[in-house]
Amino acid sequence: MVDDRTSSIKLPDLHSPPKPVIVYGTFIVLLFLPLVISTPLATEILIWTIFGLGFNILLGYTGVLSFGHAAYFGLGAYAAGLAFRYFNASVPVGIVMGILAAMVLACIIGALAIRSKGVYFAMISLAFGQMLYFLALSPLKGITGGEDGLTRIPPLDFLSFSLGKPLPLYYFICIITGIMLFVTWRILQSPFGKLLQAFRENEERAKACGYNTTLVKYCSLVISAFYAGLAGALNTVYLSYVPLSTLFWLTSGTMVMMTILGGKGTFLGPLLGVGVFLFLQNTISLITPRWELFVGGMFVVIILVFPGGIMGTLAEKFAAFRMRREGK
Amino acid sequence: MLLRTEKICKYFGGLKAVDEVDFVLKKGQLKSIIGPNGAGKTTLFNLIAGAYLPTKGKVFLKDKDISRLTLNKVSRLGVVKTYQINHIFPNLTVFENIRIAAQVRKTSFNIWKQAASYREINELAEEILAQVELIEKRNQPASTLSHGERRYLEIGIALATKPEILLLDEPTAGMSCAETNQCAEMIKNLNRNLGLSIVLVEHDMSVVMSISEEILVMNEGRTLAEGTPREVSDNEEVQRVYLG
Repeated sequence: MVDDRTSSIKLPDLHSPPKPVIVYGTFIVLLFLPLVISTPLATEILIWTIFGLGFNILLGYTGVLSFGHAAYFGLGAYAAGLAFRYFNASVPVGIVMGILAAMVLACIIGALAIRSKGVYFAMISLAFGQMLYFLALSPLKGITGGEDGLTRIPPLDFLSFSLGKPLPLYYFICIITGIMLFVTWRILQSPFGKLLQAFRENEERAKACGYNTTLVKYCSLVISAFYAGLAGALNTVYLSYVPLSTLFWLTSGTMVMMTILGGKGTFLGPLLGVGVFLFLQNTISLITPRWELFVGGMFVVIILVFPGGIMGTLAEKFAAFRMRREGK
Repeated sequence: MLLRTEKICKYFGGLKAVDEVDFVLKKGQLKSIIGPNGAGKTTLFNLIAGAYLPTKGKVFLKDKDISRLTLNKVSRLGVVKTYQINHIFPNLTVFENIRIAAQVRKTSFNIWKQAASYREINELAEEILAQVELIEKRNQPASTLSHGERRYLEIGIALATKPEILLLDEPTAGMSCAETNQCAEMIKNLNRNLGLSIVLVEHDMSVVMSISEEILVMNEGRTLAEGTPREVSDNEEVQRVYLG
């Protein structure tokens, strides 16, 4: 075999999930987040992180771009909200309803659209998402509250803790986020997680190895919808209200932006992207109502400096540094 | 008969890429397909592998009609192809490239158990890495391999699926002379030692003539000649059209 200079160098696989200590460490950092930033902002970061972890499985690890994830997030939010409002459901039941609704929707949309590739899938998913938005806006106004959103959700509690108070709510969502970080880590370490990455790298080759790649993509979409539904339901618990905007395409666009900002295909990328995005949004919106303009500008600058997203570029630079050091 | 095609045809509009070709592969045989560029060799490969649906004709694997099966289904039946242009998983490590192929028959959709805990699969992957002489590069991203090494990895990925028939599409393309000889030796060993049935598409005549038991010569989508390397090289028509 050809024996070149790099034969003894062990390079890290940039897209590999991190060591368990990083997962536990991240959870510990999240536990102390309300000491650094306001509790509502920290809570929002957690909810969007859960959404981002799932979206990253689809976009970052499977390589499938969906512009319709607001549908799963919004449906999860509405399903939980409806369960709370009309059936006085407990928090776990409402959350399960949100997750199930999002997954069922993903099964249906997936069955119809999963064979489309690249931008076509992105556009079809966007169309489905917008269909749902307009359904909630007008024909189902009586149930969803239309433009006003779903209101009058009763105060919620869990194990005698009132989730109307910021800190108990934060830690309730923080524990779920910790569980989801661990679950994501397990998924990415599993044969299926590896298969997702193979699909992203070379679908044709994965097919030639004997894999049903359509099924792989479908399962990835449904898993991703699980996270989106969970995040949507938690958003309802957090706001005690479901804004119609949860179903709007801008929610999908924001998620795409956050994932790319943090570094798609990196384990902590979504958390970082969500954190930076929401922090900028919250800080700049205090100064000017035109915060989108500045956040958009900063997004452009960050992507120019970190083309692989913050986490992705840092990982690449670290890998290059290690390669140089070990090559000497 | 392990594999055979029956008057197989593939037309792209008015172009007859493969036209009524009867191809037969016996168990344990190493058979090459040669011919000038555009003769239909790779198209025939793709028809056998399930990458293309035939316009007419049939493909049989152990007398089972597999003509309408897709690439992944044919692969699961043990007919696995490699590509003319490298088709690897570039950002995954060399080991992961092989391991992903190795897990196809054992587990694919388990989302909880860690991939590293499947001892049998990992051992198979290590074994294949040794066979294709990439063991020292196991932790490198595949994108950092040289061209020759990528060709080896390509073969390794196919081997890891435990095929019964290996379809090798120009495995030595772009390799240096020394690498080509090494690669030819490896293919011969896979055939002789592991008993793998191999179909080889190759332009390097020294490789074809030295390791093939039988050769099928194609020209303009049709069979021009078939026989042992000696019979083929002595064939006047083959000399005129291809060997010069």
